[in-house]
Amino acid sequence: MSAGISFPEALAAWAAAAPAPERDCTLPVPELLKIFHPDHRAGGMVTLAAGASAGTACPVELAALLQSDALLEDVDLAGTHILDADVLILGGGGAGCVAALAAARAGARVLIAAKLRLGDGNTVMAEGGIQAAIGAEDSLQRHFEDTLRAGHFAADKAVVAALVEDGPDAIRWLIQQGMSFDLTDERQRMGGTLLRKKPGGATAARLLSYRDFTGLEMMRALREAVLLQPGIAVLDRHPAVELLTDDRGRCGGAVLQDLGRGRLVLARAGATVLATGGAGRLHLAGFPTSNHYGATADGLVLAYRAGARLREMDSFQYHPTGIAWPGHLEGMLVSEAARSAGARLINGRGERFVAELAPRDVVASAMLREMVEGRGIVRDGQLGLFLDTPSLEREQPGILQKRLQTLSHLAHRAGIDPAGEPFMVRPTLHYQNGGVAIDSRARTSLPGLLAAGEVTGGLHGRNRMMGNALLELVVFGRRAGAMAAVDARQERPRNLGLNHLAGWRRGLLAAGLGLEGKGPLLFPSYGNITAAALKGRAA
Amino acid sequence: MKVLTNPALCVGADLPAWLAAGGGTGLSHALAEPDAIIPLLEAAGLRGLGGAGFPTHRKWASVAAQPGPERWIICNGNEDEPGTFKDRFLLAEAPHQVIEGALIAAVAVKAAQVVLYVNPREDTAVRACRAAVDAWMAHPLAEAVSAAIGARLALRVMESSGLYIGGEETGAVSSVMGGFPFPRLKPPFPVEHGVGDAPTLINNVETLAQATHILWHGAEWYRALGLGDAVGTKLYSLSGDVLRPGLHELPMGTPLRELVFGQGGGMLAGKAFKAVFTGGPSNTLLTAADLDVPLDFENVRARGSRLGTGAMIVVGEGTSILRKTAEYVAFFAASSCGQCPSCKIGTHQVSRILERLESGAGRVDDLTALENLARMLPGSGRCGLVDGAATVLASSLATFRQEYEAALPSD
Amino acid sequence: MGEARAGEGTVDVVFDGHVIAANQGVSLLQAWIAAGLPLTENAGCMGQGVCGACRVLVRRPGERLAGTALACETKAEAGMQVSFVDHFPARRPHRYALESLTDSWSIAEQIDTVFPEAKHCRHCSGCDRACPKGIPVQRMVNLAAEGQVFAAAELFDACVMCNLCVAACPEHIDPAHLGQFTRRMHAALTLRPADLMQRLRQIEAGEQRIDPEAPGTYPPAHA
Repeated sequence: MSAGISFPEALAAWAAAAPAPERDCTLPVPELLKIFHPDHRAGGMVTLAAGASAGTACPVELAALLQSDALLEDVDLAGTHILDADVLILGGGGAGCVAALAAARAGARVLIAAKLRLGDGNTVMAEGGIQAAIGAEDSLQRHFEDTLRAGHFAADKAVVAALVEDGPDAIRWLIQQGMSFDLTDERQRMGGTLLRKKPGGATAARLLSYRDFTGLEMMRALREAVLLQPGIAVLDRHPAVELLTDDRGRCGGAVLQDLGRGRLVLARAGATVLATGGAGRLHLAGFPTSNHYGATADGLVLAYRAGARLREMDSFQYHPTGIAWPGHLEGMLVSEAARSAGARLINGRGERFVAELAPRDVVASAMLREMVEGRGIVRDGQLGLFLDTPSLEREQPGILQKRLQTLSHLAHRAGIDPAGEPFMVRPTLHYQNGGVAIDSRARTSLPGLLAAGEVTGGLHGRNRMMGNALLELVVFGRRAGAMAAVDARQERPRNLGLNHLAGWRRGLLAAGLGLEGKGPLLFPSYGNITAAALKGRAA
Repeated sequence: MKVLTNPALCVGADLPAWLAAGGGTGLSHALAEPDAIIPLLEAAGLRGLGGAGFPTHRKWASVAAQPGPERWIICNGNEDEPGTFKDRFLLAEAPHQVIEGALIAAVAVKAAQVVLYVNPREDTAVRACRAAVDAWMAHPLAEAVSAAIGARLALRVMESSGLYIGGEETGAVSSVMGGFPFPRLKPPFPVEHGVGDAPTLINNVETLAQATHILWHGAEWYRALGLGDAVGTKLYSLSGDVLRPGLHELPMGTPLRELVFGQGGGMLAGKAFKAVFTGGPSNTLLTAADLDVPLDFENVRARGSRLGTGAMIVVGEGTSILRKTAEYVAFFAASSCGQCPSCKIGTHQVSRILERLESGAGRVDDLTALENLARMLPGSGRCGLVDGAATVLASSLATFRQEYEAALPSD
Repeated sequence: MGEARAGEGTVDVVFDGHVIAANQGVSLLQAWIAAGLPLTENAGCMGQGVCGACRVLVRRPGERLAGTALACETKAEAGMQVSFVDHFPARRPHRYALESLTDSWSIAEQIDTVFPEAKHCRHCSGCDRACPKGIPVQRMVNLAAEGQVFAAAELFDACVMCNLCVAACPEHIDPAHLGQFTRRMHAALTLRPADLMQRLRQIEAGEQRIDPEAPGTYPPAHA
């Protein structure tokens, strides 16, 4: 990272210049993104040379995994423990739980396999809210157009239409699962109105929430529903290490690694739902991340290797305000609510440099520009910018305690008083905009494989709107689960095994890529354990 | 020599039979010279036989020295630990020697409130005690006791909760007061603040029964019963892989070898001797190297273990130390009252790891984690329950580590 | 990233038997990782404190009673003894189907049917002490047992599903799941937003059709 302005000097500049003057930022948005957004960094992207999406761009770190060889050989499957189900769900976060519920309620016997523990994913960490067009002034059409526009018109219209059409029903479904939402008046539980906020880039107030921990409220209702749903068996600590395919290329389950017993499990199923989430823990371009520990792109790797097509794999969302200092909290989110409430971003010279409520990719790029051009702030070796919470508190006394509780809690853990000292923030790797391409019924291009949640591609285009991630996991989780239950009633896969591997390896060799790299990763490098070392070993 | 288990004294609840056999003599001595009771116990060297081995006369003297009119005596017959089955025998077969001991204590410390605190799962014992108490209360000796105390004697049977923690002194106090038997931090000790904050003497059933005989036959007689420096007799609850398990009353200080191979008839099916879990079972294991240890408080302590309740659970070749330890830790985990997360969750966590090892899903790190828990848990609870679990864990892990390692998957 | 950066010296912590020199200011979870120890469980959100995966038992020097905490939220302190605590699921699920709870007049009986253990609370307060979020768990259990659903649900607002109260409860009440039961009931039985219902009616009546070719679905023409 480039050098910057020392913390004491920056603090003095900030204190001297209140209100902060605006720096003249003349760079047009397309150029700003092109030069400073991490998606466009020099040498950051490569073109995939093998697989169903060969020829498309992808971050270097992810490409290495996507174009890797399997951890398994056919002989490893001899003598493995076998489990049979109608529907196998890979991933125990929000999307996986919703899909499991939908499939089981459609009559399928469901197996849900989580790498960590059921619920310990990104869903539980979501703070902001969930979009659904329910306001009288709002409409499904507006939600549809807002989503397309925010995604730079790169999204699949049919998929986006499915997303917004199911939105209101998804909220009803969530309430039926026992999830609460904030109301405009808490006393009006019957016949009242839901509290709505306006997400960045939206033309109407459409963001529904539960306090500032919407994801937690959602996840605990979903987890409970899954645990109590007859017909669902839960496997914690069972990451998938390879998909199973039949001799016609159809997906028929997965090979799981039972971490607790150090053995492989062959989970055979009529249909498989991929709900493995994102890739933040790959730390693209060395960025910190707001993602949970298990976000290592495993599902992308498995699906791609088995033949599924990916899309917008070169597009990631960097949340503008991750913690920059202290180091031990680096990457953790300071909710967008702070900027929504009016908190400004300030550089080392005490200047404002961006419209804080511009789309996330624009704000993040503007921040990175400040940091690259030497106007960042250095504290204990950590580079960042100020989020001016003291001025916010001065302008709206009491706001930190009343409306930004999670932020205040975070400040406490950082050891600062947010009313007296600004936060040190910097962009943090937050969301994978693209992923495994799906259609409106949650089908991937690989027969027998459905997908839901962050692992999918097509509905956010090149930039995701706040609140569409929680909606997506519900809408496509339900669609994937229901569709999987139907698919599972069709002809069963035959001659299941690692049928796709030979062709995959030939493809890698033909593209001049070796077979040295192995995937999936399962755990980040600083987890001090590799997937290869876990093979056949209890952990 | 059989004292407590002398067949001639095992007359059940029949008070006339007890008195005809010589019962009542000790109490008469006590009534005749109340001030001599505590010095006599001191001369006899009687110690608490419920596990702690605390000198009995000191406890009695502490209660006697407390101010205020109200005093309580709890005869602790809660007995719930695995492998211990002595108190239930005494209460069912010879309750009068226990009750007489409690009345002697009442006279000694001037306590009018006397409670036989009995585990309700032992219904024969409960029935015998009720009948025995009724008989005593209808007998003129009860009047004499009231007169000696200077207050109306209230002798009664109270069923305990039957829970293990109800045997802990502060737990027993809480139970007698009508509450859940929650142990609490000590001090203050019940001798100062017990039932209703009044000074309370809590003695084990066996201890009070011995007091009866000491008052009856004298200190010298009692001392001479023991071997070596040890005094009196002890009820050993022998169980496990021996030919003749059961209750054995032997001189205090009988060597472990004599108990197992003499009285116990040797190892079952000729299996080699491996170890003994002492009651209950919350102490360091005794191993083959300890077969010569005289089973008394001092000598067992010198081997780094404790006599405890006198329960000896013998483990032979073919019985898994890991299995037994898992069983006992699971007992402690289930018995933990819940007040202290370190105890409840700590013992659960140990239990979980032991189960994992047993099921063949263990990891090398599990042994390190167990050792860590064995170090950090002791002393972290309000009572000693978690300490017991940690001790038996640490001991079995240190002495039989190879059994733990053998349970790990081969690669 | 996971790596701890040098602060002012280090502090020694014993964590699952490993002596770790942790950089000052780091969380226990970061100290574990920085020490090169493998992490494949007891981890999730890595610091936000919302997933309840990194349960630990912590004993500080000079403190008698040990306590429970989340490793991602607890700073390493000199002399700490720490042990990871497994996830303790309920021993048997307390089964119910939300959609069949239609008779709200008998709600207390229905709670008792699903969670019969709740009325046996022995008031040991172990759940309160075990909760890393400071929830008055025992009070919630007692309120739920009395049928005071809203009050119980409100108390459980901050639950992060660590299940430490499940491990801590000697009566197997499974407070975490009882708390969720009241919360879910509260929402599923009483939350009926008019605006949502109105929009659902419109959709069912075909009044909210999407036009995929509307002008707003294309990029604005470049000026």
